[in-house]
Amino acid sequence: MNREQKIIAFCCNWCSYAAADLAGISRLQYPASIRIIRVMCSGMVHPEMVMHALAQGAAGVMIIGCHLGECHYIKGNEMALARAEVITDTLEDLGYASEQFQLTWVSSAEPERLVEAFRNMCGRLAVLQSEQSADHIM
Amino acid sequence: MAQVIHIHPVTRIEGHASIAIHLDDVGRVSDARVEIAALRGFEQFVIGRPAEEIPRIVSRICGICPWMHHLAAVKAIDGCFGVTPTPAGHRLRELCQVLAHIHDKILHFFFLAAPDFVLGPDSDYSVRNIMGMVRKDPELAARVVRMRQLGQMMLERFAGKAIHPVAGVVGGFAKPMSNEERQELQRDAALLLDFASFALDYAKDKVFGRFQEEMQSLGAITTGFLGAVDAQGNLQLYDGLLRLMHPNGKSVDFPASDYELHLSEHVEPWSTAKMVYAKSWREGFSLDPAAPKGIYRVNTLARLNVCDRIATPRAQAELEAFREQFGRPAQGTLLYHWARLIELVYACERTLELLADDAITDSAIRNPATPQAGRGIGHVEAPRGTLIHDYTTDDNGCITKANLIVGTTHNIAPMNLSVHQAASSLICDGEFDEEMLNRIEMAVRAYDP
Amino acid sequence: MKPKLNFEWLHACSGCEISMLNWGEQLLDLFDQVEIVHFPLLMDHKYGGQLGEGAPLSLPEADIGLVSGGVAHQEHLQVLQEMRKQCRTLIALGTCATHGGIPAMRNQWSTADTLHTVFTAGTVDKEISPSSAPAFLDRVYSIDEKVRVDVSLPGCPPQPQLIGAVIKALVNKDAFQLPQKSVCETCPTIREGKKKMAPVQRFLHNADYDRDQPVSEMQCLLEQGLVCMGPVTAGGCGGKDTPLCLQARVPCRGCYGPVQPGGNQLLDMMNALASNGIDHRALVDRKSLLRFSGAHGLLKPARKKN
Ligand code: SF4
Ligand code: SF4
Ligand code: SF4
Ligand code: FES
Repeated sequence: MNREQKIIAFCCNWCSYAAADLAGISRLQYPASIRIIRVMCSGMVHPEMVMHALAQGAAGVMIIGCHLGECHYIKGNEMALARAEVITDTLEDLGYASEQFQLTWVSSAEPERLVEAFRNMCGRLAVLQSEQSADHIM
Repeated sequence: MAQVIHIHPVTRIEGHASIAIHLDDVGRVSDARVEIAALRGFEQFVIGRPAEEIPRIVSRICGICPWMHHLAAVKAIDGCFGVTPTPAGHRLRELCQVLAHIHDKILHFFFLAAPDFVLGPDSDYSVRNIMGMVRKDPELAARVVRMRQLGQMMLERFAGKAIHPVAGVVGGFAKPMSNEERQELQRDAALLLDFASFALDYAKDKVFGRFQEEMQSLGAITTGFLGAVDAQGNLQLYDGLLRLMHPNGKSVDFPASDYELHLSEHVEPWSTAKMVYAKSWREGFSLDPAAPKGIYRVNTLARLNVCDRIATPRAQAELEAFREQFGRPAQGTLLYHWARLIELVYACERTLELLADDAITDSAIRNPATPQAGRGIGHVEAPRGTLIHDYTTDDNGCITKANLIVGTTHNIAPMNLSVHQAASSLICDGEFDEEMLNRIEMAVRAYDP
Repeated sequence: MKPKLNFEWLHACSGCEISMLNWGEQLLDLFDQVEIVHFPLLMDHKYGGQLGEGAPLSLPEADIGLVSGGVAHQEHLQVLQEMRKQCRTLIALGTCATHGGIPAMRNQWSTADTLHTVFTAGTVDKEISPSSAPAFLDRVYSIDEKVRVDVSLPGCPPQPQLIGAVIKALVNKDAFQLPQKSVCETCPTIREGKKKMAPVQRFLHNADYDRDQPVSEMQCLLEQGLVCMGPVTAGGCGGKDTPLCLQARVPCRGCYGPVQPGGNQLLDMMNALASNGIDHRALVDRKSLLRFSGAHGLLKPARKKN
């Protein structure tokens, strides 16, 4: 995958950001293209923010929140789930690939799961990129 | 030495165009072309859209005659979905259409064309315009500005939006007319009819009388004509049959849905505008000024030439006088202006006629429509000529194919010939000045492209 | 000395200019207060000198410049850059200039695809594309994507009073305020709240209303199930009155562009539907929600799927 590529990961303060912290302390390796932005809750990531990141050149965007039922603000992640559908559909309308967006749940005690999610996203984007460059050649 | 004179842009017309006049080594006109940069791709981007949305999209083809595109599309989509508008819906659409002709004709005659005649083709460019007209005759200018605005405001008050309208809908119209609205419109339309009669008298006195020679000779060419008539041969703007008249005066009538049997489009490598020609004459297409082929004209003069009569009294009297003087078909290019003002009178009279009928306030304004696969061809007579919208839909009622023939495209080929004629008769030995170039533009302005 | 004005139209329909003329007699005052030095619709100033010997494209200097239409080909770009150079204050007039407008709908296709469709549509007698046409850009741009813009006046077309007020304020060096509310905030219809939302339908039948009652007695069209873009569209079209389309009892289609200049009407509308529990997938043609604001890279050709 392209070294310059960036993946923006919006992590909620209470679970996924804590997991990222723990991943750091535990010296778990994850791809350098990940850029974490801490938000208070996954429910506050408006679709505009996702589109903005892509429009500014991010290769992919992730929203990572607490498991359903465990949101610190009770229903924030349910809101994120409803919006994710809108985001996925809209990405295609706007000429992006739905693969460029991912919503994931991670608890504060699951750094491995977080790192796994990061790796998966990178992998997906790499496949997408090779498909697109193949299109160019054809 | 050979050279090219550019008139860029052609000004005081309702769109974008430029002229290139080619002079040969001895300074004679060897070629003259009007280029209309009109490509915006509507045929492409209507594809996939739900058909009922199209009338609100294609209005943006032109901000001067958006009602024409709006209504031609509405009629075509009626056809795609197999729905007939209610009688009141039909009347309200026609009312808006004739009303929309009024402001355009005032704009074109007084704002765009009149400065050439009133201030003179040789006056300086900085004063030869509506601002100069205001200085010369502030009272007249104020009246013109007010009357044009009135025509637009009548539409806006009744139908919401005057520019890029929304009230025409598949199956009919979106809003009924109340009695108060009707009375108000009647009052205003009477004012406009007075103004139209005044405008025609004014023009006969100040323009047509003083420029008799030019009216017949500037940009003069001999062509066929296309316009719309009803079954009795009366002038029509909103509906009716198309009548294609050969230069020899013989004509055929056909429904707009048969347009492909009679008309075809031609692309020249030097222009992004398609040119339409009379395929059914079986002579092909040629822009050779010595022997043009397949060329006919549309718009005001064409409509007055093809119709047998006009069904409203004042306009009919004017038509008779016009024919007495110029015959039928009249070929003089500047006669377009005269015909335009006769149509202005007709549009005002027709507005009053439509408003006089109680049926216009009926509540049944729209029949519901169901999306389906089909094809619909809608036609209206726009200020610039015969307008045809042709759409095909899929099972879901979304557009799969579109062809649009707009008024100007019929007139592009004749406009080229008129400019060629005007340029060749004005420029010899490579000598030319601002006045000559403006006179060449006057040939284009007559067509109101 | 009177302030000088330049007017230009690029990838435009002339509706913006006509809207200005609809200002009526106040227009005469304007003609009195300013000197119009370039305005192809109304006066004969030419680009390359009045005798047209092919001098390079040049425009006079002016205090205020108005540009309608977006940028679609090389010549638009040159004219726009010349306007920027010569005008102290540059106004983007109309939604085409501010957000691409309807012509930017073609950004869903490549320029080559569009040319092919147009020149083979209908009854064309041979398949050629013109060669000497001005070079088309890859897509339609709003003017702020190409030059710095001082004032953005959206609307398709913008309301005459608003155009007039802005020009007057600039001439008199007064401050002015553009409307900042959404269409809904200026709409008098009755809103009954979320529970009343009907599923989305196409506009194939008229709204439900009593013909003898004013618009303020009609239920919100969105609540009636007719997609209305009022929530995601900048207001002002009706002046102090009811939004224009609503006066005709017809839903808003978004012609003033997004409420926030950088907004995305498609995304905002989907979000508004989703957060009101309306199934956004029932919309037949979502991309049309960007029909007025497809510039700024928002509408793009679809990706090729393998
Ligand atoms: S904004 Fe609307 S009225 Fe203005 S030029 Fe564009 S399409 Fe025409
Ligand atoms: S959604 Fe439409 S009808 Fe409802 S309040 Fe907004 S603008 Fe008015
Ligand atoms: S209601 Fe919406 S679409 Fe209609 S004029 Fe106003 S902003 Fe434009
Ligand atoms: S706090 Fe983690 S998703 Fe709401």
